[in-house]
Amino acid sequence: MCSYALEMSLKKGATHARVAATSNNANGMSVLNDSLETIEKAVDSSLTLHLFVEGRYGTCSTNKVDPSGLDKLLDDAIASVKLLAPDPFRKLVPKELRYEGPPLYSAHSGSVDTGVKKAFLLDCACAIWNKEPALISVMADYSDHRQWLHLADSDGLHCTSEETWYNYSVECTVRGKGDARPSDWDFQGGIHPWDIGIGSGLPCTCAATALERALAKRNPRKIVSGRYRVIVENRVAATLLAPLIDAMSGSSLQQQNSFLLDKLGENIASSVLTLIDDPRRKGTPGCRFFDSEGLATAKRAVIEAGRLNMYFLSTYYAEKMQMHPTISSPSLLLLKEGKGNAATLAGLIKNGIFVTGFNGGNCNTTTGDFSYGIEGFYVEHGQITYPINEMVMTGNMLDLWSRLLAAGDDALKTMSWQTPSLLFDDIEFSGL
Amino acid sequence: MDLTTAIEMDSKKLLNLALQQGGDYADLYMQQTTFHSIVLRDGEVNAASTHNEGGLGIRVVSGQNTGYAYTESTLPRDREEAARTASYIAQGLIRRTKPAPIATLNLPDRYRIVRPWEGFSPQEKMPFLYDLNERIFSADKRVEKVTAQLSDATSHIECYNSLGIHCSDIRPMASLSVTCVMESGGQRESASASRSFRMGGEFLHSAMIRELAQEVLDRTSFLFGAKQPNGGEMPVVMAAGGSGILLHEAIGHAFEADFARKKVSIFSDKMGQRICNPGITVIDDGTIPCNRGALNVDDEGVPGQKTYMVTDGILTSFLHDRISAGYFHTEPTGNGRRESFRCMPLPRMRATYMDNGRDTEEALIASVKKGLYVDTFSNGQVQIGAGDFTFYVKSGYLIENGKLTQPIKDTNIIGNGPEALARITGVANNCIIDNGTWTCGKGQTCAVSCGMPSVLVASLTVGGRV
Repeated sequence: MCSYALEMSLKKGATHARVAATSNNANGMSVLNDSLETIEKAVDSSLTLHLFVEGRYGTCSTNKVDPSGLDKLLDDAIASVKLLAPDPFRKLVPKELRYEGPPLYSAHSGSVDTGVKKAFLLDCACAIWNKEPALISVMADYSDHRQWLHLADSDGLHCTSEETWYNYSVECTVRGKGDARPSDWDFQGGIHPWDIGIGSGLPCTCAATALERALAKRNPRKIVSGRYRVIVENRVAATLLAPLIDAMSGSSLQQQNSFLLDKLGENIASSVLTLIDDPRRKGTPGCRFFDSEGLATAKRAVIEAGRLNMYFLSTYYAEKMQMHPTISSPSLLLLKEGKGNAATLAGLIKNGIFVTGFNGGNCNTTTGDFSYGIEGFYVEHGQITYPINEMVMTGNMLDLWSRLLAAGDDALKTMSWQTPSLLFDDIEFSGL
Repeated sequence: MDLTTAIEMDSKKLLNLALQQGGDYADLYMQQTTFHSIVLRDGEVNAASTHNEGGLGIRVVSGQNTGYAYTESTLPRDREEAARTASYIAQGLIRRTKPAPIATLNLPDRYRIVRPWEGFSPQEKMPFLYDLNERIFSADKRVEKVTAQLSDATSHIECYNSLGIHCSDIRPMASLSVTCVMESGGQRESASASRSFRMGGEFLHSAMIRELAQEVLDRTSFLFGAKQPNGGEMPVVMAAGGSGILLHEAIGHAFEADFARKKVSIFSDKMGQRICNPGITVIDDGTIPCNRGALNVDDEGVPGQKTYMVTDGILTSFLHDRISAGYFHTEPTGNGRRESFRCMPLPRMRATYMDNGRDTEEALIASVKKGLYVDTFSNGQVQIGAGDFTFYVKSGYLIENGKLTQPIKDTNIIGNGPEALARITGVANNCIIDNGTWTCGKGQTCAVSCGMPSVLVASLTVGGRV
């Protein structure tokens, strides 16, 4: 179908074309308390064509992957593209930069029987259901998907990947003070079912962890506004990394809409921050050999001891900015680890805050100013104590990252952005 | 046999298959959608995209449990396989339901398309974007960049269910968004503005372009003199319009009945109780013509309607889909919505707003000694069980001694839903529905809108400098 799509694109007037074909097979199941709540199954496919027509550019896509539907779609799309203004910066990936190699196969070879999934989820939920008086509900979710992707262009690009991912999460809601019903969650993920505990013979601990976390959040307080040392927990620290990554993207930079404009090669953070994009680690989430236009991925030091080493530039934005393409976006981001976990880092705090969750908020990509709602715990004399909530952390991203004092060694390996718990100094929190 | 009869016979067969193992209810949701968008960047409209997709979702409900499968294939064997997969949820149950004879619902037409998007070529659309670009650049020398995107979608929906209901709907959606970047003396600021309506090509007109250009210019220019406020607890006057995000986050999600059914919402046990001051009425409305949240019929075959969630301060209704309505022994409220045929429906909001009060905005501001006035927003979030909600403020003013003073920007405001509601002490008489491109997540996106009159909340926590 990809060959047909490329051939027809050229026949109908495209000068060049690129096609991405995907096929997905996904399953989901959820248990509420002690019974099955939902079962879902999805099988879908898609075809996306990037059309380069007489110096003009457009895309068309469909989930009707059959020749007759594609013909009309192409006719309409190419006719539309011819009406646009030319864009001389749109090109196929140069041969010397594109991926040429074997397919990425990062997939489980079998599947899990529906009955096995159901039994697994029920076992996990029932391990805690009715065992804790304060527990209101347990929601256990399972999902798996298999995705096949083929990318090709009229210049001979051919890339293929096949991946599976299994995911399991549990959310517990408990009775808090008054009408409050705090909740928390835990999860596991991996390429194979045994990564989440199916068929491994190991007990699943997510339900117990989710319950423990939810119970710990009862009766939270708001504390006095002030500047505090803060630990940001490993599983939410990526929230603070995301604005940095957005500001490094070609689309933000080229539109003068980035607080990292003209900062390549400069120190933008404390020397504790080293960020590596390591896309070729097979068996890890985020591993990929090529990006969405076929650029070959490579291991890169994004930030090294606080120094900004690169921007994320597709071929298009690299052309517009007269720079060399790198890669359109990160794949597997690894923040260099130090020592210890959140509890260890707490030992460095006299009076501070341990952030375990963000509640809304945003960062202004142009200026770097941010403001995020938080929940977490108060840290006193090195100990994590009572829960806090309804507070806001505010500042500027460049200032925040310059105050990074230490990183733990507790990054979660089931995420594609692996950040350990982080300790920042003297950050502004609004509360009482 | 004509196509309509063929589809109806096929639907009966599929519904029977879906219910063959048991279950209380089944439905089929067929959707065909075409999307177009064009983008202006660096002075040129030089990117366009077209996407079309279609499929069938099949759902079986047994008590509160749901089996769901979808297929993109039109082959009978694939559709029948999806029906069998969905039927698994009822496996082993005794309860059996037979599909009732089909009758087609008569529905209002809240978004009649005057000019279909199909056939509206880029050539006709492009001048509007060029006009927008030119107006912004010519108005202010500080403008460096303008990006604008015009998107349209037309969805054809057919639903059949085991209650004997058949309905069909044609749903347009048009959106125009613009972002402006200005630079002055080394300082850069950017702001965005948008409009979205359920309309065909009649959505595009010069007056809207003029309005949007001025709005994004005003918003961006404002930011040069603005700074992040000092943080802490303070009274907040929320300007009419986009402040409806307070309702959406503080209470709207908590009133979605699936959360109440599972007892995870902080308002789960509050039906019939006073939750805010008398005089406050909050509505979720699917009947506003051409509104982004308007629905002739929801995605379960329930007619679009207006639901009074809070009436004179009393919690009077949750937002129900068929499952929660069955659980609470009430009627569904037309809030069963889904992102597409790929998703099972959930209770979702539509256009959520507060009725007018009796105050004026000027009086509300004048009553505040030291606080904040907020008028543009970008996003929000809520923790359903704890009740803590937030919304991000892009711009506003300090209020000092009853007057608007220093412009402010980029602050997140946080509060607790029940507490914030109880602290609404003034409601003005100037309700505006905001017509921006509001989109709600919940694992699957839905187009929504929100609105408010200006209100005074006696105390919220404002993020800022300390």
